[in-house]
Amino acid sequence: MYVIIVYDIKVERVNKVKGFLRKHLYWIQNSVFEGEVTKSELEEIKTGLLDIINKKDDSVIIYRFRTDDAFTRKVLGVEKAPINGIL
Amino acid sequence: MKKNYYLMSDGMLKRRENTVYFVNKDGKKPIPINKIYSIYAYGSLTFSSQAIHLLAKEGIPVHFFNYYGYYDGSFYPREKLLSGDLIINQAEHYLDHEKRIFIAKKFVEGAAKNMEKVLKYYHLENQISTILPELDGCNIITEVMNVEGRIRADYYRKMNEILPENFNFDKRVKRPPENMINALISFGNSMVYSTVLSEIYNTQLNPTISYLHEPSERRFSLALDLSEIFKPILVDRLIFYLVNKRMLSEDDFEKDLNYCLLNDRGRKIFIKEYDERLKKTIKHRELNRKVSYKRLIRLESYKLIKHLLGSKEYKPFVMWW
Repeated sequence: MYVIIVYDIKVERVNKVKGFLRKHLYWIQNSVFEGEVTKSELEEIKTGLLDIINKKDDSVIIYRFRTDDAFTRKVLGVEKAPINGIL
Repeated sequence: MKKNYYLMSDGMLKRRENTVYFVNKDGKKPIPINKIYSIYAYGSLTFSSQAIHLLAKEGIPVHFFNYYGYYDGSFYPREKLLSGDLIINQAEHYLDHEKRIFIAKKFVEGAAKNMEKVLKYYHLENQISTILPELDGCNIITEVMNVEGRIRADYYRKMNEILPENFNFDKRVKRPPENMINALISFGNSMVYSTVLSEIYNTQLNPTISYLHEPSERRFSLALDLSEIFKPILVDRLIFYLVNKRMLSEDDFEKDLNYCLLNDRGRKIFIKEYDERLKKTIKHRELNRKVSYKRLIRLESYKLIKHLLGSKEYKPFVMWW
């Protein structure tokens, strides 16, 4: 499945969340990650995030799509981080 | 979905935040470690041992290619899938002449039939089906190789009829390739070779024990064996596609070197399309589900394992479309 994760985290933890998500997903913009994951990887991501965040202060939203064909994506302005396998 | 990463520019591979960063003149680019299947390094790559530690831990092979796009070698992480039983069987099938030649013939048969399919697609008459039965009479490996060589010669002659005139070539020449088509074949074959190696890494097979090619030292020759079957499917068809659709032209080769080498732009085009092709799926007849071309290579390794363990006789993969 394809997921988009957006978050709003207190400054002291924000880098931890970013660093953690970097292992699994593509960084798109500040506080936005996306990418293809398996069911089990999503569970891994969820438990990982719950370990880091403070449930009272922080907020993470996960959007799930069946595949990346299920939505269209349009970037206005600068594409900050193109997802590309050829570097 | 894990994918292949192709590092075309010069740069450095670093470990940071428990993932790898590719740093080049354009800046830093993080690559999610869980999304890497294998890495193909074409530019000059510097990496820290920390990065290698991480790649080894995650079992990600790195394939290195030199300045000219030739395969140099691979960083092959410690094998995680081990099976002493299978290795013994693998070696036994090599040592027993009958058994070895059986598998070697199968590889040639698979390769030849796939070549035939490629030509058939373009409605070209060929000699392959008349040469192929000669395999039955072969008792030594060099004879098998010989049959394969003749099939290939016939095949390459026919290729000219598919290619536009400015891309024509006389024969297959290696080290160095003399013209554009030879350059493309060499480049493509080295990619298939490393793709196959990545797949073998993910099975219990030992990549150094081979059957058609002599298992010489310093080479993963089983990858050469299995590549034979997939070269016509992955490389040759891709070349026809790229050339006939005019996606590659003379400008994509190094002129100074007599067109024997793809330049940066050409390489990028080739690799992009090659990667697309690996991801492309077909409906598998036996499994009755969609399977990508890359997966087909893995399935081929599994079939070989089954043969070696004696549970099912190996039949090479032949395109049916």
